[in-house]
Amino acid sequence: MALYRRKENGIFNKLLLQMILIIWVIFQVVPILWLVSSSFKPSVGIMNNPFSFPLKSLTIENYDFQKFKTFAGIDISIFFKNSAVVTLISLILLTAVALLAGYALARIRFPGKNIFIFFFIVLMGIPIHALIIPLYYLIGKIGLLNNYFGLAFPYIAFRFSFSTLLAQAYFKQYPNEIVEAAKMDGCGHLRIFFSIIMPGSIGIISTILIVNFIQFWNEFLFALVIMRDNAAKTLTVGLMSFKGERATDWGPMLAVITLAILPTLLFYLIFSRNLIKGLTAGAIKG
Amino acid sequence: MLPGMLFILVFIAIPIITSIMLSFFNWKGYGNFDFVGLKNYLKVFISDRYFYTALKNSIIFSISVTIGTVGLGFILAVMIDLKVKFWKFYRFFYFLPVVISTIPLALLWVQIFHPYGLLNNLLLEVTGLESLQRSWLGEPNIAFVIIILVDIWHYTGFTMIFFLAGMQNIEEDIYEAAKLDGATTFQRIFKITAPLLKNVFSIIIILQLIFSFQVFDIVYAMTRGGPFHSTEVLGTRLYQLAFSEQQFGLASVYAVVMFIVSIIYAVFYIRVSGYGKVALQS
Repeated sequence: MALYRRKENGIFNKLLLQMILIIWVIFQVVPILWLVSSSFKPSVGIMNNPFSFPLKSLTIENYDFQKFKTFAGIDISIFFKNSAVVTLISLILLTAVALLAGYALARIRFPGKNIFIFFFIVLMGIPIHALIIPLYYLIGKIGLLNNYFGLAFPYIAFRFSFSTLLAQAYFKQYPNEIVEAAKMDGCGHLRIFFSIIMPGSIGIISTILIVNFIQFWNEFLFALVIMRDNAAKTLTVGLMSFKGERATDWGPMLAVITLAILPTLLFYLIFSRNLIKGLTAGAIKG
Repeated sequence: MLPGMLFILVFIAIPIITSIMLSFFNWKGYGNFDFVGLKNYLKVFISDRYFYTALKNSIIFSISVTIGTVGLGFILAVMIDLKVKFWKFYRFFYFLPVVISTIPLALLWVQIFHPYGLLNNLLLEVTGLESLQRSWLGEPNIAFVIIILVDIWHYTGFTMIFFLAGMQNIEEDIYEAAKLDGATTFQRIFKITAPLLKNVFSIIIILQLIFSFQVFDIVYAMTRGGPFHSTEVLGTRLYQLAFSEQQFGLASVYAVVMFIVSIIYAVFYIRVSGYGKVALQS
């Protein structure tokens, strides 16, 4: 869509625009490029010619996994695994619950529905960090500290409102005819949901998965508090302990950071469009 | 429906109440709960040296980051929306930093701002700028500014995609009509685009205010609240008091303060945007 008039906006303005946009791209991307390229340089001279990329003297010595063990002997791959497991569990359960709830909100009439919706919106504004203490106590009491589910359950609770509202918006737009036909055949709500809606809802399912993956994978505070054992720490937490113990050795430090952001970068490479669409879908109807 | 509500009840609703209650007790993380009434509040409001710094910082942080990300995000969205080629390319790279986890990102920026790090090294190479070198994260006033800037760097893309999506929903015809009436680009932006995006603005602003108010990760990872507690925010103090000093009662006071401020933000938002009426009507 054009905001400019042909006359006043010749080549010069367009060029200027592109230049500014490119400058900002450089600004956003250079730190990461520096990170990755430096991680392939030996620690010793890492700050010399920071922006050079000497193809001949690149090394992967920083990526030696031996260097990644914290002093407790825990390998960073364990941190990766923990993050992956927690994220997976949270995603699966959250999607299941949010879909059901979203469907109910969109299609089933029951008293107090609007109160629920309002309630959900309010819930999204609560500072969850402030809940860390009682949650710590609660999780401890039910014996789920250092347990994947101990982290997954709060995660699900936190993202439930948002995901449900996404699902609700989707199901509201779901074509009625199919559902009506099924109802006429005598299907109850649950049957309709599982046999008919689910198979066709791959769109919203993937949106929920994608949008929440980032949140779960990157979360720090709750993981820090609930996963205390070295063997249970997630990636973000493990990374911090790594920093505490090895702050001075920059090569491996940068290498670890690179590895840590690699999964999300790959994820983003593949799903950027879906991610952006999923996030903005709800806000636009306002 | 039910399982979801159960999660929320157990993991959110109850903790909220417990948090408030806990602020009235002494608790060391184990053992007894001793009721101490308002003593914790007094301790925090009167004898906690860092409370007001943390409160001030949290508020400044949330407002600065919101202004920064919303302002920049809007400007970028406007520029992209001017029908530049490769707009998807720009959108891709502008949103990229957003998905990167705060912790590794913060650690990266620590390296960049390290006394022997990238920034100082670059300044060294450019003659005339050597004197600008400093310990960026080691000087009380500067450290906080740096953290704010990094957070803006991190999340500008987030606000931008919302503005962009909103703008792309605006119909061409409105602009055409304005063009025919002789409106300049700036006029079009301020009189057409911005007003039409009013809803997006208000949602984004309140989201940013509340999210950035809860800041913890980036401060913890970059400075732990230092140097000399100059970058403390409510989140870091809460964590420190609860999990390093085992003062759960005091920490809960911080939690309550966070709730109250969030409620203030939310009420302000509902007032300003008139959303309360809309929600209640539907």
